[in-house]
Amino acid sequence: MTYVKEGVVTIVQESRFQLTDDNGIAHLFLLDRNAGAEPAQLAPLQARQARVRVTYEQARNLIGLVARSVSLLPPAAR
Amino acid sequence: MTTTISPDAAAATQDGPEDAPRIPRRATAPPSVHGRPNRAGWTGPTYYGRSQLKASPFENPVVGGYIFLAGLSGSAAVIAALADLRQGAAAAALVRRGRYLALVAPILGAPLLIYDLHTPKRFYNMLRVAKHTSPMSIGTWILMGFTGAAGLTAAAQAGTDLWPRLRGLNGLARAAQVPTALTGLGLSTYTASLLSATSTPLWAAAPRSLAMRFGASSMASAASALALTEPDPDHRRALEGTAAAALAVELAGAAIAHATYRRTGVEGALKGKAGRVEHIGATLLGTALPLGILAASLLTRRGLPRPVTALAAVATLAGTAALRVSIMAAGDRSAEDPDVSFRFSQPENLPER
Amino acid sequence: MNMHPRALEHATSTLDHVIPNESELTAGARIVPGRSYGFFTDTTVCIGCKACEVACKEWNNLPADNLGLTGQSFDNTGALSANTWRHVAFVEKSGSHGLRDGLDQKFQSGWLMMSDVCKHCHNAPCLEACPTGALFKTEFDTVVVQQDICNGCGYCVPACPFGVVDVSTVDGKAHKCTLCYDRLKGGLEPACAKSCPTDSIQFGELSDLQVRAAERVEHLHGIGVESAYLYGTPDAPGATGGLGHLNAFFLLTDRPEVYNLPAAPTRPANRVAPSLATGLATVAALALASAFLFAPSPEDRRGGRR
Repeated sequence: MTYVKEGVVTIVQESRFQLTDDNGIAHLFLLDRNAGAEPAQLAPLQARQARVRVTYEQARNLIGLVARSVSLLPPAAR
Repeated sequence: MTTTISPDAAAATQDGPEDAPRIPRRATAPPSVHGRPNRAGWTGPTYYGRSQLKASPFENPVVGGYIFLAGLSGSAAVIAALADLRQGAAAAALVRRGRYLALVAPILGAPLLIYDLHTPKRFYNMLRVAKHTSPMSIGTWILMGFTGAAGLTAAAQAGTDLWPRLRGLNGLARAAQVPTALTGLGLSTYTASLLSATSTPLWAAAPRSLAMRFGASSMASAASALALTEPDPDHRRALEGTAAAALAVELAGAAIAHATYRRTGVEGALKGKAGRVEHIGATLLGTALPLGILAASLLTRRGLPRPVTALAAVATLAGTAALRVSIMAAGDRSAEDPDVSFRFSQPENLPER
Repeated sequence: MNMHPRALEHATSTLDHVIPNESELTAGARIVPGRSYGFFTDTTVCIGCKACEVACKEWNNLPADNLGLTGQSFDNTGALSANTWRHVAFVEKSGSHGLRDGLDQKFQSGWLMMSDVCKHCHNAPCLEACPTGALFKTEFDTVVVQQDICNGCGYCVPACPFGVVDVSTVDGKAHKCTLCYDRLKGGLEPACAKSCPTDSIQFGELSDLQVRAAERVEHLHGIGVESAYLYGTPDAPGATGGLGHLNAFFLLTDRPEVYNLPAAPTRPANRVAPSLATGLATVAALALASAFLFAPSPEDRRGGRR
């Protein structure tokens, strides 16, 4: 089951990132090993405070979400 | 006071495969019990029956399968080169099959290794560095060298098969088989040091005898595979002699290894299913039985009937595969069992200085 | 504890900027590339608050894992893993061989706690095993996995004698404590050490820490805690078998196994040469035997059969 979240990448550590959504709630994501994006691509997103759309799945036995794909959104998108 | 894990708690933590630390199999005595190291295993305190080590994340049939194919390939190249150097055209058919058999590690084995990576698309990062402290790095370069040399040898062989008139190709194959055989020696045995150069007790306990077993069983498997398809009785006898010698060395290696396991206190890792496969499958049916058959065959003038020696060859091949997979599984068990892992990490097991 | 003179430069309780070389104020150690840094974890003052675990998760953006209760004292973390880089061990026992022996509340008196972490070994087995060079020694003499290189072969996992390194099944890479490499580069003390309320976890230059630790053991022996000893300093338990010293070392009061530590770990790379040499000698000897068995028959020498 895949879900979608949009927001701003606010913290990046290795392949893990925090996404803060429009309600100001932060979510912890882990980049899936089969995700299109590489961990090295996350840091620039954080530096630019880029808005992204993340498709993800729930993780089992882990309080975190597994990001399947991360795509850039235009800054004004609401 | 109790240190037993309640079944509910264990179930709650076991259902998620994602990044869940393995729940210890055994909940042991209270941690304040003081004990002394003994032959059987650790009897002192543990931390809630947990081991201080983590088992390898390898998929044992996959990596064990690679170790089997690497040994088969490497040793087939060695035997083919020897047969060619000693007998030349007289052994042409055997040499051809040996050169083609050497391709199983590059063609089937390497994909198994890449499959076992947790990020397979980055397999090429193995080629960034060469490290003498890492048998996995050493092995990567041995496999690369072997793949190039064996590929060239087999290609030249295929060319000779297609166009027998082309003399140069035969010369090329004969030249390329030398580096193939040399890297083949390494490919036959480096996998033992790959396991031994870890902190997994069963693998670390006996680095020399494990290398002896892996190297000898590689030679035995290649000689048996070639003997299975060898029509010439003289060549078959030479191959069976090679296999018998290798099986005898393997059996000696097994005896030394088991004595070392007893001395260092890691024998407990061989108590389960993996241990039974190692004892019965690999050592008894896979080494002692074919050694007996081949010895009997070699000692009689005309040899035992072909189906009987073929049975020995099949048993050798199956035993070689069983040895690799069972040693891997028993190693994982030794890392997860605190009775074994703490017993092994006692000061008396430190190498002499 | 004396206040660092530089602390006066930051008199307000709210800060709107990062303090340059903050570690000098919080840990008394200036962080300079090229020097050795590490942790001295003094378990006698650990109170099991798990602030280090939380600080580590917060700074490194690590998810909680191993959900559920273990039933093992206050330890629901269990072990170090790909997502847990500090782990507080809890051991309840009667009697501590020390100050408070003989008190009525026996189990309270002998409650051991220890914050476990990657040892950042001098001859790090994970680093020596890594076939991609993803694991490396930083300019601070710590051991870190480069996430853009690791391909998840998993060889560092069985290599580690302390069961620290773990491969994440989510992202398929090896993970472990980085000794807050990013914080060190910014002049900050590692998150766990900074958050430790009792200074059980002390960060600093390794030589300073080793002196401080030896003095602490002497002090403890002087006041009657004879069981105190260091684990991971040169020639002590934990730094055996060619590992050298451990940059993250511990003061313990019971045998190592009680804290889930090996008494005498070894350096796996020392087994490469004996194993390879024996294996090659075995195969070469068998090849010689095979060459003998493939002896050309007399008619072959005269011009080949068939």
